[in-house]
Amino acid sequence: MPIVENEGETVEVDLTEEEIKKIKSLLGRDPYITEWGMFDVMGSEHCSYKSSRPKLKLFEPAEENYDYVLAGPGQDAGVVDIGDDYCIAFRIESHNHPSAIEPYHGAATGIGGIIRDILCMGMRPIALLDPLRFGRLKNNSHSQWLLKYVVKGIADYGNCTGIPTIGGEVEFDHSFENNCLVNVACIGVGKVEDLAPSRASKPGDYAVLMGNSTGRDGIHGVTFASRTLTEQSESDRPAVQIADPFSKKLIIEATVEAVKTGYIRGLKDLGGGGLSCASSELTGDGGTGIEFDVNKVFTREPNMTPFEIMLSESQERMMFIVKAEGLETILEIFKKYETPYAVLGKINNSKLLRVKNADKIVVELDPTLLSDFPVIIREEKRPEFLNDLINQKTPERTLKFDGIIYRLIASENICSKEWIYRQYDHEVGVRSVVKCGDGDSGVLRIIGTNKFISGSAGCNSKHCFLDPYEGAKGAVVEIGCNIVSNGLKPIAMVNCCNFGNPEKPTSFWYFSECVKGMADSIKFFNIPCVGGNVSFYNEDEVLQKVIKPTPIIMLLGYIEGQENIITLPFKKAGNPIFLIGETKNELGGSEYHSVIYNIEGGTPPKVNLDSTKRTWDFLLEVNKKGYIRSVHDVNKGGFLITILEMSFPNELGADLNLYDCFDKDLTSEQFLFSESVGRFIIEVDADKIKEFIALIEKNKLYFKEIGVIIEEMQIKIKRLEENFNLDIMIAKNLFNSTLPRIMEGDM
Amino acid sequence: MNIRIAVIQFPGSNCDRDATHVLNNVIGIQADLIWHTNFKERKYDGCILPGGFSFGDYLRGGIIAAHSPAVKEAEIMLKDGRPVLGICNGFQILTEAEFLPGALLRNNTLKFECKWVHIRVENNETAFSNQMKKKEIMDIPIAHSEGRYFYDNLKELYDNDQIVFKYVSKEGLLNEESNPNGSFDNIAGVCNLERNCVGLMPHPERASEEILSPFKNTHGIKLFNSMVNFIKSKVI
Repeated sequence: MPIVENEGETVEVDLTEEEIKKIKSLLGRDPYITEWGMFDVMGSEHCSYKSSRPKLKLFEPAEENYDYVLAGPGQDAGVVDIGDDYCIAFRIESHNHPSAIEPYHGAATGIGGIIRDILCMGMRPIALLDPLRFGRLKNNSHSQWLLKYVVKGIADYGNCTGIPTIGGEVEFDHSFENNCLVNVACIGVGKVEDLAPSRASKPGDYAVLMGNSTGRDGIHGVTFASRTLTEQSESDRPAVQIADPFSKKLIIEATVEAVKTGYIRGLKDLGGGGLSCASSELTGDGGTGIEFDVNKVFTREPNMTPFEIMLSESQERMMFIVKAEGLETILEIFKKYETPYAVLGKINNSKLLRVKNADKIVVELDPTLLSDFPVIIREEKRPEFLNDLINQKTPERTLKFDGIIYRLIASENICSKEWIYRQYDHEVGVRSVVKCGDGDSGVLRIIGTNKFISGSAGCNSKHCFLDPYEGAKGAVVEIGCNIVSNGLKPIAMVNCCNFGNPEKPTSFWYFSECVKGMADSIKFFNIPCVGGNVSFYNEDEVLQKVIKPTPIIMLLGYIEGQENIITLPFKKAGNPIFLIGETKNELGGSEYHSVIYNIEGGTPPKVNLDSTKRTWDFLLEVNKKGYIRSVHDVNKGGFLITILEMSFPNELGADLNLYDCFDKDLTSEQFLFSESVGRFIIEVDADKIKEFIALIEKNKLYFKEIGVIIEEMQIKIKRLEENFNLDIMIAKNLFNSTLPRIMEGDM
Repeated sequence: MNIRIAVIQFPGSNCDRDATHVLNNVIGIQADLIWHTNFKERKYDGCILPGGFSFGDYLRGGIIAAHSPAVKEAEIMLKDGRPVLGICNGFQILTEAEFLPGALLRNNTLKFECKWVHIRVENNETAFSNQMKKKEIMDIPIAHSEGRYFYDNLKELYDNDQIVFKYVSKEGLLNEESNPNGSFDNIAGVCNLERNCVGLMPHPERASEEILSPFKNTHGIKLFNSMVNFIKSKVI
């Protein structure tokens, strides 16, 4: 990496020679050493989105096109209006690199950061979700170590701050073995009047830094996150910040109380890039300026240089822009919660960020220079190996169907994740209406109203690996199905793009195709994209492994009326079971292929957006009419796995007659194990079956009545090439015991 | 009469608003959220120490909060017979303050455990269980990592009838499987000798509304109703 200097001091920067030249010419002089540090951080991929920005333009402007979007991409969190003066903020972010080398603090500070993003919109954080990716667990102590401490990091932080973790998803795949993915999402609620922009728009306001002291931890965390992992990455451990959930809890309460006074004009958290990022974004976006002395910043250790103070990424800090007349009131609140603070200075109209160290100027520049980093147009190329992979054939089946299904239900990607979510307090806040394990999404009530919201996040990395465009569409559909499965309507999306090194054309092609897939599908569904995060450089240089492309989709659901909430467990024997949506020959990237044959290829699912949209509308309608009793969308492992999961909670069985239930071109195994997206298993009220069928036919949806719920604890599968029975207690035991056996036992 | 209850907010409490919500909106009595240094007992008929991580659970759960001025105020309330309830972290505070016997150790699972359990009423003559039947089984959730009840003189607890709740199975069986954290004798909650102070690890405020219960009941509300009844009957 190039080394730059000023007045005899030198620093290594992660910038190209071209960027260095450009910075000098924009500034008209050589930057001071602290400025170099700031350019370095703000120019990192993590802060500047310099590779991804051209592609992210594919998402239509949410605030312009959707009247209920109050804040869209570019803000700390997306915010949507849900009526009666209530609004919901939500965002998702990655914390992959820190978690890969220090799973506990890496994951915990990830939670800390995403909470601050919600908080600095002026909203109270009320829920967390966390999609995770690790290497295969069995007989792999490294993967087990990562899982154990990532989960503990999330649990300790979320539980202590009193924010329930209401959902998430986990995938295990060898490509994530060293570069695990830790994505964290947070949802917040508040009143529209409390929305705080991340802007310092009025000269005369005070800039107040509040929270923990500034230390030497986490300096250059974002530049570290913008590189691939190497053997040296272990020595980057000081770039990982230390989590302090207790301080965060006080900061949450102090911030919510401060916002309620009406004296907060702007608010920004200190995350990546620390003080340099917060002060430049607040003034840059506000069209104002600020001058302050770094000595006003309270530090954790003596003799910190201005460079270190401006670039430290110490956790649990917020910058408040306070109306002059309210300063004293706000400071009183901070005193009550015993959170340290410093009034840094006044906002002025200089349009300059000027930082001094006593009499010496250490930073003096136009703050917009830092936030408007030039983009880089990257090359894209489809990998050549894909054709062979997609053409891979399913090997000849030697196992019986029941044996295959028992193996699938016990497999790492399908088995119960209870071992994980038991460690999360998922009920604190008394809002959790559909809890972990009861539905495809986490549903929360908004206390004091009859409004309900839900969140679900995930994607299928294996599908995206084979076809990133269709895979990303499939992710939007799958997450949307999760929302619809609980009776809510998807109203807004955020995403977290996890990819390899964008400087490599094949990695960038995956990113580009996934963005296209996401953008096309949400446009079709009329769902605004209100925010996102891009994490590149998820590669392990030691093993030469790139992660499977992982465009995590998070959707927010909304519905009014408790009667509309529906869950996944089968409710009553005698009720008929329907499979909605067409099953196609799409075994590519399926769990069947990977668990039974250890292959990754085949034809991946293609998405039919039109039939999906009509299915969603239909389901929400029949649910409102009260025709259906339980819903679960078909996901990994195929529809029999879905039926088993529905049968476990109330220990009810099913009698399935699969004759004439699928296309004649399909083999039985394709029908049973394809992971075609956009399908649902539905329990229909036996008394409403006529009305249900009439409506489904009217909507011209593809459907089959496949069987009926029975008391007997068996799934009986008839009229396939072989009849077979699945014992619910055996399957349930396999489903529940896999993770505990691996994590607590010696596998 | 106008009953007024204080819900104490320690730095790090996080079930404070939940308990206040149940008292205000579900039961319909006045409950105030009071910052721990501002709490004055004379205004209140009872007080609740809520769940959470007071002072970050640094050192160990509840010990720093046990030295808060609010706990001194609570002691005055207890002495003149007013009810004091400790839920989860509040229970830990009450044992650390030695208002209740015993201690709460790390779960024997060595993990945080968030799930619904079943508890059986062992003593229905306390300020917080007088609206329950003896041996009644209640569905209620837990969420803690330090909830393993320990006391070195269990005989004393039995002799004085200080055990209020025990973890049992759905059917009411007292066994190892139904004990979520390794508590001695499956103990989930205890009371003081005077019966006006109760602490328990499960969260009644999370089991007071049907919409939140996987069992579609409101068993937790009986604790709060018992408190109201206790306060009323004392006045009469």
